[in-house]
Amino acid sequence: MAQIDIQNVQKFFGQHQVLKDLNLTIEDGEFVVMLGQSGGGKTTALRAIAGLETVTSGKILINGEEVQNRKAADRDIAFVFQSFSLYPHMTVRENIAFPLRAVRMNAADRDRAVKAVAETLQIAQHLDRKPSALSGGDMQRVAIGRALVRRPQALLMDEPLGVLDAKLREQMRAEIKRLHIARGSTSVYVTHDQIEAMSLADRIVILHDGVLQQVGAPDQVYLQPTNLFVAKFVGSPVMNVSDVRIDGNNVRLNGAEAGFRFPDETLSTVRHAEAGLTLGVRPEAVLLAHHQGEGYVPVVTTNIEPLGSHDIVDVQLGGTVLRSRTASGFVSGEGQQVWVRLDPAQAHFFDKATGLNMRGAN
Amino acid sequence: MASQVMTNLDPKSRAAAKGLSDLTIRNLFIIPTIAFLIIFNIFPLLYSLAYSFTDFRASTRAPANFVGLQNYRDLLSDPFIWSNFSITAKYVLISVTGQVLVGFGLAMLLNRAIPAKGLITTLLLLPMMLSMAVVGLFWKLLYDPNFGIINYFLGLEKFEWLADPDMALYAIAIVDIWMWAPFVMLLSLAGLSAVPKHLYEAAEIDRASGLYTFFRITLPLVAPILMIAIIFRTMEAFKTFDLAYVLSSQPTTELIAIRLYKMAFQEWQTGMSSAFAYIVLIMVVAITNIYVKYLNKVKAR
Repeated sequence: MAQIDIQNVQKFFGQHQVLKDLNLTIEDGEFVVMLGQSGGGKTTALRAIAGLETVTSGKILINGEEVQNRKAADRDIAFVFQSFSLYPHMTVRENIAFPLRAVRMNAADRDRAVKAVAETLQIAQHLDRKPSALSGGDMQRVAIGRALVRRPQALLMDEPLGVLDAKLREQMRAEIKRLHIARGSTSVYVTHDQIEAMSLADRIVILHDGVLQQVGAPDQVYLQPTNLFVAKFVGSPVMNVSDVRIDGNNVRLNGAEAGFRFPDETLSTVRHAEAGLTLGVRPEAVLLAHHQGEGYVPVVTTNIEPLGSHDIVDVQLGGTVLRSRTASGFVSGEGQQVWVRLDPAQAHFFDKATGLNMRGAN
Repeated sequence: MASQVMTNLDPKSRAAAKGLSDLTIRNLFIIPTIAFLIIFNIFPLLYSLAYSFTDFRASTRAPANFVGLQNYRDLLSDPFIWSNFSITAKYVLISVTGQVLVGFGLAMLLNRAIPAKGLITTLLLLPMMLSMAVVGLFWKLLYDPNFGIINYFLGLEKFEWLADPDMALYAIAIVDIWMWAPFVMLLSLAGLSAVPKHLYEAAEIDRASGLYTFFRITLPLVAPILMIAIIFRTMEAFKTFDLAYVLSSQPTTELIAIRLYKMAFQEWQTGMSSAFAYIVLIMVVAITNIYVKYLNKVKAR
């Protein structure tokens, strides 16, 4: 098991910079998820840790040892590829045994290790089959088995569930979490799926355009996004975002006549923004009521998504559509008159120019 | 039935205007080919099979007498014929092994990003495009003991490549390797570039050495296409005539094809040589079958 330290790493592909001064420490036994859009640099960062990609400058340390100039084989890390990368001409047994045979482990130890891993991953019954005869989920189990069989320093996974269907993904997600808890291996996991990230990670690392945006526990990233990108990327449905004007204690959304009253302590830190402000509120902070009340603004519902456990209700306010998360069946249909209020405690103000969260990291 | 499989003729087309039906057009395309095949392939094949049971000589007017299996019996018990076969076997082994080693080696070298890769590949493929007889003639000049450039560069003085009974067969095999290694290279290159790059990455992560990766990943995945190259080259090498005929007339280089040619067109033993040709045909089919069996086994993995 190992601690991984990334220091000032830069990576260029020709003229294009894909990693911009990346700094990150992954603690021993930690499960870190790198989250971002495709092309954000997360896969490159992972491959750089593995040694499948060189870095242009900067250092990568595993257990305090500099490894950025070492080959992948000398870093003792395991890697699970999105495409599984199973050896097609070998049986499942041979695939899992490959890393052990490659370093000439004796046959008895090898068989024992393969069997143990296969049982943990529930693929023991497939050991003598070819990968092509397996389902997608089992293929990925084999790939994970091949990665775990030699007890590597760290386990790196590049969108390992990306090609599986939704139901299987959920199941495999739980299995990966269970394996991690059982084995306590340092794990780095790359995904663009924020639900995967939230459910698996001890800490989430959000990368965008090769720049690290925020590192934090899932709830921290969700509740205290450092900037507008993180705020919009994490969370489903997406955070409501609108440019606002502040008159006194009145916060008015872009194009809306009426405004929302915010308490002084919320607005004090954001008043000095010169370039203007962007307000962000998650759907659960958009509160609907059937009757006029203190601080509520009248609106008309435009769309309802009934999701079973809750509904997502769209209301039109000025030029902005606000999405609200309500109890299911709270609003019976489109075109209904309701009243809306924003929860000041869950409101975020972002500087329009820099995108930074004005209330800081709270 | 057939007309259901085929696309129907456009009623506005010129063919339709001339009153041709789909079936007529199909027959117009197929019948000449079938006729050609029957006249020039099937008929001679059967005709020579019939001759192989006679003592017919094309050089005389004497009628052919049926001799049963006598020709086959004579051929298979003739020690000289067996020496032709063993020479051929040796030649096939050397030549095909050499082509696979050189061809696959070149493919490995070319299977990476190198400057002018396209040009190099094209140049390497040129020998394959030449005529066998031409290749034989200019290698004869290259091998020449008096002014040949090979002896000059190797500092071998007057070494007689083609007149030396022990060396001549190797000398011919070298020319064959020079000419046909590019063919193996071309197929190997296709096979190598079809191996997904991420498998090499996986092997590297799994701490496999270069050699281990080659024998456990690269070779098994290229094996099927390499096998096809070997089948083609073995069949061709087995039938080699022109190259050996042009280069050398040593008894030690008398391949079966040359023996067959002499028997048929110098000694005019038409019946006997027909039988000989059939023995060779059966052997080639047998060897090919062994390879194909193996190929299917490799492909099943």
